[in-house]
Amino acid sequence: MPLDARDFPVSEHSLPNGLQIRFLEDKSLPIATLYSFFRVGSRNERPGITGISHLFEHMMFNGSQKYGPKEFDRRLEAAGGSSNAYTSNDLTAYYEEFASEALPLVLDLESDRMASLTIDDASLGREREVVKEERRFRTDNDIDGMMDEAMSSLAFLAHPYRWPVVGWMTDLDLISRQDCERYFRTYYAPNNCTMVLAGDFDSAQALELIGKLYSRIPAGEPLPSVATGEPPQKGERRSLIHFPAQAPAILVGFRGPGGRDPDSLVLDLVEAALSHGEGARLRRALVYGEELCVDAHVSFGWRMDPGLFEVSLKLNPGAAPARAEHALFAELQRLCDQPLPAKELSRAKNLVRANLLRGLQTTNGRAHTLGQMEVMLGSWRALLDLPDRYAAITAEDLQRVAKATFDARRRNVVTLVPSEESPS
Amino acid sequence: MSDVALPRLAIEKEPSGLTLVAIEKRGLPLFHVRLSLPAGASQDPRGKAGLAQFTVELLRRGTRRRPAADVDELIEGMGAQLGAEVAMDEAALGITVPAELAQPALDALFEVALEPSFPDDEVLSARRRALASLQSDLDEPSSVAGRALVTLGYGPTHPYGHPAHGFKRDVETFGREDVLAFHATRYQQSGAVLAVVGPEEPAALLALVRDRLRAWSWPSPGAHESPRDFASLPPPPGMRALVVHKPDSTQAQVRIVSPGLAKSTPRYAEAVVANTALGGGFTSVLVDAIRVDRGLSYSVGTRLLMNRHAGLSIFSSFTKNATLRELVDVALEKMHGYATTGPSEEALDKTRRYLAGLFPLGLESHEALAEQIVDALLDGTGLDHLAKYRSRILAVTADAARRAAGDLSPARDGAQLIVVGDAEVATKALGSICPVEVRLLEDFG
Repeated sequence: MPLDARDFPVSEHSLPNGLQIRFLEDKSLPIATLYSFFRVGSRNERPGITGISHLFEHMMFNGSQKYGPKEFDRRLEAAGGSSNAYTSNDLTAYYEEFASEALPLVLDLESDRMASLTIDDASLGREREVVKEERRFRTDNDIDGMMDEAMSSLAFLAHPYRWPVVGWMTDLDLISRQDCERYFRTYYAPNNCTMVLAGDFDSAQALELIGKLYSRIPAGEPLPSVATGEPPQKGERRSLIHFPAQAPAILVGFRGPGGRDPDSLVLDLVEAALSHGEGARLRRALVYGEELCVDAHVSFGWRMDPGLFEVSLKLNPGAAPARAEHALFAELQRLCDQPLPAKELSRAKNLVRANLLRGLQTTNGRAHTLGQMEVMLGSWRALLDLPDRYAAITAEDLQRVAKATFDARRRNVVTLVPSEESPS
Repeated sequence: MSDVALPRLAIEKEPSGLTLVAIEKRGLPLFHVRLSLPAGASQDPRGKAGLAQFTVELLRRGTRRRPAADVDELIEGMGAQLGAEVAMDEAALGITVPAELAQPALDALFEVALEPSFPDDEVLSARRRALASLQSDLDEPSSVAGRALVTLGYGPTHPYGHPAHGFKRDVETFGREDVLAFHATRYQQSGAVLAVVGPEEPAALLALVRDRLRAWSWPSPGAHESPRDFASLPPPPGMRALVVHKPDSTQAQVRIVSPGLAKSTPRYAEAVVANTALGGGFTSVLVDAIRVDRGLSYSVGTRLLMNRHAGLSIFSSFTKNATLRELVDVALEKMHGYATTGPSEEALDKTRRYLAGLFPLGLESHEALAEQIVDALLDGTGLDHLAKYRSRILAVTADAARRAAGDLSPARDGAQLIVVGDAEVATKALGSICPVEVRLLEDFG
């Protein structure tokens, strides 16, 4: 059953400078969410300035021509709103959630920083330290984070997915104000942005206001091309991390398709069959069956370019990594050897469909999903067809994609080995 | 900003003591059911910390009608996942499904809540998993800090003074008889609330719930337990520091904790405003001083942990080893100053509008709506807590906020400072502030 288009009365607009605008009105509560998606992430970086996309995301809150330092959030909070942002490999998204009456201010704040962000050395220096703390928190002192970082560097040799979104610590120290200014001019132009506004507002008034505030911002030059090449993987790659830990952990990564490849949807169902819910295959086999792991889960997100299908195993203290690997590989092989039984396929489809619906319950969830569809799949309309596209996937599709993906010669394995201390 | 109208709903109390709540929500065709039971971690028997959590996790590991694998299939075949949370005051089970599956979702929830069979092998297996998880959690510094926080903040003998997952020494003793007794005693209709949210009128939702309830029996009551004593002693004067040694840390997790308020406090609005201006929003006093002005941390904040009978006032942050002392000094200085002055007029106005403006976000999803309404009933704050939230927050005066700032500062006399990180670094950094005790990571597992 497709999503009912009547529940998503989205209107599409654009400005002559290339800014894309999507509206979804819903007056059930007096709130709204505005997302601004920029098509820039760590894939647009180069060695030496890794992490600049994310550092730059922090700099966007440090003042512009009309609203000086500290003003963005001070004005927004005083009007009953809050803001946040995130950076991924492929995009940077900024959002505000706010009382509906604050919309004119929110648009003024957002358009002002797109038009006239100010970057000074002092605020860059402070923000650099904040980001380094974030890196220490999420990566250097976090087992999942350090394993993710090792996996990216292992699985990709040439593609920018090779470095972490947060950047290498040494690069964070090298990024200059001039680098940031160049980044802003290149990637923060209206023709590289999709805005999505959802919630309690009037579309005609909002469009008029957006036209007034954003039309003055000139379109930017065409974006530099991204070096997306990656040589074929010709054998298994392995990496070890020695770190003081209570138990071993394993992260296995296989190269997967990009987000626009129809096989990505098939891998979404593979992910659900393997790791969504307590009855998922990996939990049954490794957590409840052989009791090798505390947790076993799969992470497969749509990316612009071919990405990774990752399986993460958090082992029981004392469990042997080789045994856990063997059990995992046996489960993956089973997907290649035998079609998924109808009951399991139906379970996976129902879980994915229900997850999709649950993600659309909030204005933030709706705005984010529409924007993601625009940026990653080319149109928000892809959302309406998704349930039907998932429903059409067969057990044979799963088996074909599993065989293509879970090839032992294209496997990447990161193992965390508990030790008394890290190598100095 | 005016108050937010709650959706159409009906609340009815059954003779059994069970409260039924039916909430109409149009839009996406989803149905949600939530069962809250007086089976939270504060009801763990003495020496059995973690039993409430252990019991919840075992509910789905086999019922009188089917084994664990079939229970998984029953729930997940619908595309649902069983939410099972244990807070200090209650345990809550929840399922969200497409609306056409409302009836089987209700039946599935009743089956796991009311008819678990607790097979011996599943109990033993769950105990091994719980012990492994407790040990594994020691790898996460913020998780260790959270465990230390409740233990020290409430004191180890207080009903709230242990983490919901318990301690290794207690979990090792869990057996089937413990789980059976806890379930029989705590999974009763008296004090429980069953809430449903769906695209139907409240009367139709109530009729559906009553119809399905008739098909199920509640457990025979177990032994009566004497009520818990939630009174706590005032902390001794001065400040004390506890350092939990985590080898190889390049960053220290910092918490500062003092007694707070229960959720039902008549001072709720001014307490929330005062706390938010201190360390809630992104423009609060502490975020400004620690993150924006000095770049000392990525995350800093204060919060009021409000349980039904008592609460804590908590400062949280982290920083690299080299700036641990600077972060603590700045935090203490700012919190001491704020306890005297309270928020400025501008900060007060900004905070009131910030809280009032964002309040409806907590009513958006089916799950959040059910949780907010059920909590308002169980905590004794009533639906006015939600229906008049905005006007109460907007009415907080400068005097009331200033008094709350002084009374609820996390750093007031008797506060405890908790650091998870390298013990040598932390002891050296904090030794001249207050007495420092060093404990092993394993003490909090």
